[in-house]
Amino acid sequence: MLEVKDLAKRFPPRSSDEEAPWILADLSFHVGEGEFLTMVGPSGAGKSTLLNIIAQVDNATGGEVYFRGQLIETASGAALNPGWNCQIGYVTQDDNLLPWRTLIDNVTFPLKLQGRFDGAAKRRVDELLHATNLAGFERYYPHELSGGMRKRASLIRTLAYDPPIILMDEPFGAVDAQTRTQLQQDLLRLWNLGRKTIVFVTHDIGEAISLGDRVLVLSKSPAKIIAAHSITIKRPRDLGNLYKLEGFGDMFEAVRREIQ
Amino acid sequence: MPQSRDIGIRSGTSAPRPSFHLPRLAKEKRRLLIDRMIAVILVIVLWQACSTYFGSIWFSSPWRVLMGFIGELRNGDLVFNAEYTLKAAFYGALLGGVPGALLPFVLRRHPVAGAILDPYLAGGYGVPKLALAPLFILWFGIDLEPKVALVASIVSFLVFFSTNAGVSAVNAQYVNMVRVFGAKERDIARHVVWPGAIPYIFAGFRIAAPYSIGAAVVGELISSNRGLGFMINSGATDFDTTLVFVALVTLTLLVVIINLLVSRAERWLLRWRPPQQGMSARVVGT
Repeated sequence: MLEVKDLAKRFPPRSSDEEAPWILADLSFHVGEGEFLTMVGPSGAGKSTLLNIIAQVDNATGGEVYFRGQLIETASGAALNPGWNCQIGYVTQDDNLLPWRTLIDNVTFPLKLQGRFDGAAKRRVDELLHATNLAGFERYYPHELSGGMRKRASLIRTLAYDPPIILMDEPFGAVDAQTRTQLQQDLLRLWNLGRKTIVFVTHDIGEAISLGDRVLVLSKSPAKIIAAHSITIKRPRDLGNLYKLEGFGDMFEAVRREIQ
Repeated sequence: MPQSRDIGIRSGTSAPRPSFHLPRLAKEKRRLLIDRMIAVILVIVLWQACSTYFGSIWFSSPWRVLMGFIGELRNGDLVFNAEYTLKAAFYGALLGGVPGALLPFVLRRHPVAGAILDPYLAGGYGVPKLALAPLFILWFGIDLEPKVALVASIVSFLVFFSTNAGVSAVNAQYVNMVRVFGAKERDIARHVVWPGAIPYIFAGFRIAAPYSIGAAVVGELISSNRGLGFMINSGATDFDTTLVFVALVTLTLLVVIINLLVSRAERWLLRWRPPQQGMSARVVGT
């Protein structure tokens, strides 16, 4: 579905006599159709940079990105196409809800931009609002919603326009532990309905293992993939107590050692 | 472990709409009102004292001004003159403010043009516009046009710089986000830059409002046969300080009313903002 080949990135140097450090170097991986891929790495490993490049918000210094076999991005300096014609969804660390739009206007915004807000889309949005307990809050402005609600709104804003692949950059980073578990459970439930392809980046080992089909472990900057694990924990998974999930503890230990 | 208030709201689909307004104590509000009344009374007493000390030829008394105000209102002079001044201020604000608010959006798309113009705009802002009044009279005659030009020259710069600050403060994350959603440049300007700049545009007009009235009056002081500035001039030359004060009071009232209307419009248009921000804007405005 998505293939990343020898991706490299460094930002322009601060001054001319100084070499800028590589953020990403020779990073290669692929994501299968309908796969929930999680990537875990230490803070500052370049995880957000990686997703920014795949989403074409930022350009690469080297390497290629293929989408369904088609080359969509190189380091040639060609103009970026953020979201690759609405094929690549991106849920960022901050919810980035537009503060001047109500919840419903935020959620339907991409659909309206793309001219696809028809009856079916309306029903889909309604379903998503109900599935995430946001029904009844449609007319609220983002500042009137709690952090968890805003996260869910930001999530279903991307799910509503249904891009084939969705990148997620620590979407549940800034909420408290209970809310996070709830959000993760919501995400798994929504994913189970549609089985979208997801690339989920986090620094939380437990989150990476409990959500994903496969976990890639990233090294410190410059980021490389140092290990890959298939997660065989069967679904549906109860995230209330991770250590009750079969095989979770051993996997956690293994990943923790690799990251150090 | 951080506890969050999320939990309560999340679980309830039928959660009541929480109140987001700060509790206002009726007692505190009454106290403020009383304090304000005392301040007004103090000013009036001081005014009366000045009038008694200097003599009412030089310094009209509050009572005479009130009577003069009612008299001028009755014979229609006040409305006629105020209308003239307001017209100049309004047209000028429109003529200067609208281009001033739009130019930053054009320059955002043409950064090179913006870089070229930047020092000249800053220089233009520095020109003391009131000093241009004689030139405008020379060019446009002595009717409404030179006053409109004077007001426009002041308002345009104030609104431009305020709006420009808003346009450059646009949140880059929002821009990236909506690009991923498939937004074109036009969509970004309309859905991200414009709504984000509205508070700044309002701030510009709010600052410009008293200046626009002031500029119109100065234009009238220099050459006019109507308007509140003309009233002040003719009052002063006739040793009729009551008339001067009536005009001044009217001007003050006009500015206060305009500010009130701008705040109202602002509060309605910016109802998406968190209440703390809205409150501070209200304090400045009313």
